[in-house]
Amino acid sequence: MSDLDRAIAQLRACRLIPEAQVRELCYKARELLIEEGNVVCVDAPVTICGDIHGQFHDLMELFRVGGDVPDTNYLFMGDFVDRGFYSLESFLLLLCLKVRYPDRITLIRGNHESRQITTVYGFYDECIRKYGSANVWRYCCEVFDYLALGALVLGASSELEPSGPMMDTTQSSMPIDDTELETEVLNSRGEVTMSTYRPRQRSSSRNISPPRDISAGPGQAPMRSGAAGTGASGDARGSLSNRTGAVLCVHGGLSPVIDTVDKIRLIDRKQEVPHEGAMCDLLWSDPDEIDGWGLSPRGAGFLFGGDIVKHFNYKNDLSLVARAHQLVMEGYKEMFDGGIVTVWSAPNYCYRCGNVAAILELGEDTSSGGTVTRSNGDYGRSNGLLGATAGVRSPGRRYRVFEAAAQDTRGMPAKKPVADYFL
Amino acid sequence: MASCSQARSAEMASTAISPGLLKPNSISVKGFKITTQKLPILKADPIEDMARNLGITPPEMIFGNNLVAIEHQQSRWGMDFNAFDALDRVDKTGASMLKVAYSKEWQKSREKTHEGIKEIVKPFDWSYTTDYVGTVNPGSRPFVATTKPIPTELLKRPDPILFYDDVILYEDELADNGITMLSCKIRVMPSRLLLLTRFFMRLDNVLFRLRDTRVYIDFDELEIIREYQSRECEYEKVRQTLATTRDDVPAVMRDPNRLSEILPLVEKRLERVDLKD
Repeated sequence: MSDLDRAIAQLRACRLIPEAQVRELCYKARELLIEEGNVVCVDAPVTICGDIHGQFHDLMELFRVGGDVPDTNYLFMGDFVDRGFYSLESFLLLLCLKVRYPDRITLIRGNHESRQITTVYGFYDECIRKYGSANVWRYCCEVFDYLALGALVLGASSELEPSGPMMDTTQSSMPIDDTELETEVLNSRGEVTMSTYRPRQRSSSRNISPPRDISAGPGQAPMRSGAAGTGASGDARGSLSNRTGAVLCVHGGLSPVIDTVDKIRLIDRKQEVPHEGAMCDLLWSDPDEIDGWGLSPRGAGFLFGGDIVKHFNYKNDLSLVARAHQLVMEGYKEMFDGGIVTVWSAPNYCYRCGNVAAILELGEDTSSGGTVTRSNGDYGRSNGLLGATAGVRSPGRRYRVFEAAAQDTRGMPAKKPVADYFL
Repeated sequence: MASCSQARSAEMASTAISPGLLKPNSISVKGFKITTQKLPILKADPIEDMARNLGITPPEMIFGNNLVAIEHQQSRWGMDFNAFDALDRVDKTGASMLKVAYSKEWQKSREKTHEGIKEIVKPFDWSYTTDYVGTVNPGSRPFVATTKPIPTELLKRPDPILFYDDVILYEDELADNGITMLSCKIRVMPSRLLLLTRFFMRLDNVLFRLRDTRVYIDFDELEIIREYQSRECEYEKVRQTLATTRDDVPAVMRDPNRLSEILPLVEKRLERVDLKD
C-alpha cells in the first residue's frame, strides 16, 4: 500500500494525516493542477457535485450514494471548506483522491477557496486548532490558487436509461417509442421519485446512458409530477437538433465580461480570488428572475437573468450551465427552462437547516461509438444559419437526492439546547 | 454519553428525513402555556409564497415554520414570535440599505466596463434588520408604556428551569460578508419566564447591530414586561476597542453575548401588560 493509499484510508476514517504529508500532498496537487487549464474538459459520464463545506460525514454519504472514486467520475464545483467542522478532512481527502486518480476527479474553485473568506468562516481556525499552526492553512491556500475556474462536460447523453420500473399505463398518452427519459430524481435508496420525458429526436441509434445500480431494488413507480419547487420539467430546450451540447460547470455563475468560454481560458487564475473582475464573477454571481444583468442589492456582485443564460448557452453551444453556491432546500433547482441548474451537496447545512442534498449524474452518449463531439466552442460552433429554433439538446439529468449522514455529533451544536440562565 | 450522542444523531437525521413528525414542544405553568416549534428551512414553493407576500426576497435560511408562543388562556392573552412577521418589519424600500465593505471599490472598477448595468435589482434592506418585538394575538390586552424594569435580580436566582428552548427564525450569510440572524431563547421557571428574541448582524468591516426584545412574565403577579433594546456600532470601533483587551478578537466578533457588553445603546423601550382584572 502506497503512502497515498494509506493517507486516503486514514482520511476516509476521518483521521488527519501528519503535517509533513499534507505539505507533500499539496505540492503534488499543485504540480498537477498547474497543468490544467482554467476550464477543464471532462468527458461524460460524470457526477457533478455542489458545495460540501466541511461536512465530512455527508461527503462519505455522497460517495455511498454516488459511488466511489475511481469507479465514478466526479466533478466538484468548489466550496469544500468552511462552515462545517471537518473542512480539513474533507478537502485533504478530495485532494488525495485528485492526486491518486487525476482523471477521475475534477475540483474547481469556489468562493470559499480563498484566504480572506477562510479566515472568517472557519477553515483557518480549524487548521490552527487541529495542527497548532497556520502552516497547513497556508499549504491549502496555495493549492486553492491553482484550482480551475470551471469545467466543460463533453459527450453527455441526451437520454437516460430508466433506473426504476418502466413507465406505467398512465404514460400511454405518449407512445414509449417516441419519448426519451430526460430527467430522473432518485432518493438515497436508489428509488425513483420523479421522472420526466420528452419527445425523442433521433429514431435510430441508442445513445442512452445506463444507470449505476446502488439500490437493493428499484422502489415505487415513477411519479409524473416533478418535485415541488425544483423547477424540474420536461423538454428543457425544446430544440429541433439532436446534438447534446456541452455543460459548463462553474461555482457561482456568469460574468458580464465573459461572453465566450474562451474568455474564461484567458484569465490569469493563479491568485487570490479578487474582489472584482471576471474571476470574481464566476465564483460569486447568482441567477435571478430578472431581465439582463443586475447589481445585487448588497452593492457588490452581479445577478443575471434567463435571457443572459439563454444567449450564453446558444453562443457557446452549451446545453446547460451547472453551478452551486446557493443553498436550495431540495438539493437542486433548475431555472430558466432548464438552461441552468443549481446543485447543492451539503445536507442539513450547518447542521441545522434540515435540507436535503443532491448530485447530478450525466450519462455518456454512446451513439457515436465513443467519439466525443467537441461542442465547446472549438468545433461546430453555431453560425446562426440553422435559425432560431436550432440549438443543442440538453443532457439527460439524473439527480440523486440524499439526506445528512447519521454521525457522531461530538463538537456539533446540540439539537436539544443546553438550558442556560441567560438574561 | 455515547448513547446520548447516538440518540442525538438519530434525532438530527430524522430532522432531515421527516420533519413533519416532530411535534411542537409545550409546557403549561400556572395557567400560562408556552409552545415552541422547530422545523427545517422552507422548501422552494413556500419560499416563493413568502417572497410574494412579503415583497422582498427572504433570507437564505428561512425557518418559516418555527415558532415560540405564549398564551394565558384565562385572560385570553397571547403573543408569539415568528419569521414572517419579523421579516414584514424589514425596510422594503432600500432607503436604509447598507453596502458591503468593498462595494465602492467594486463599483468603481465596474463603472467603465459596464455602463449598462446600473440598476440595483429589487432594493431592500438585505441585512434583514428588524425591530420586531413579537406578534400579539388579536383581542389580547395591549402593552402600555412603563418605567418598570425587568427584575434582573430575580432572574439571576438559580431557580429550576422547567422548560428551555432556543429557536432560530432566520439567518443569512450576507453573501459571505458577515452574518445576520434572528433567534429566540426562552426559559421557564416555576413562577416566572424570560424570553429573549435577538437580532444579530455583523457586516464585515462595516457594522455591528443588536436588537434585543426581552419578555418577562411573573406568573403569580400576572404581569408581563417587555423591553426592547437597540445597539449598534461601527466595525472598526469595535475592533479597536477589542484590540486593547487580551480577547480573541474574531471569537468575540462572533459572540452576540460579548458584543452586547461592548455595543453602545441606541434605543430602549419598556412596556407592560397587567392581566389582573
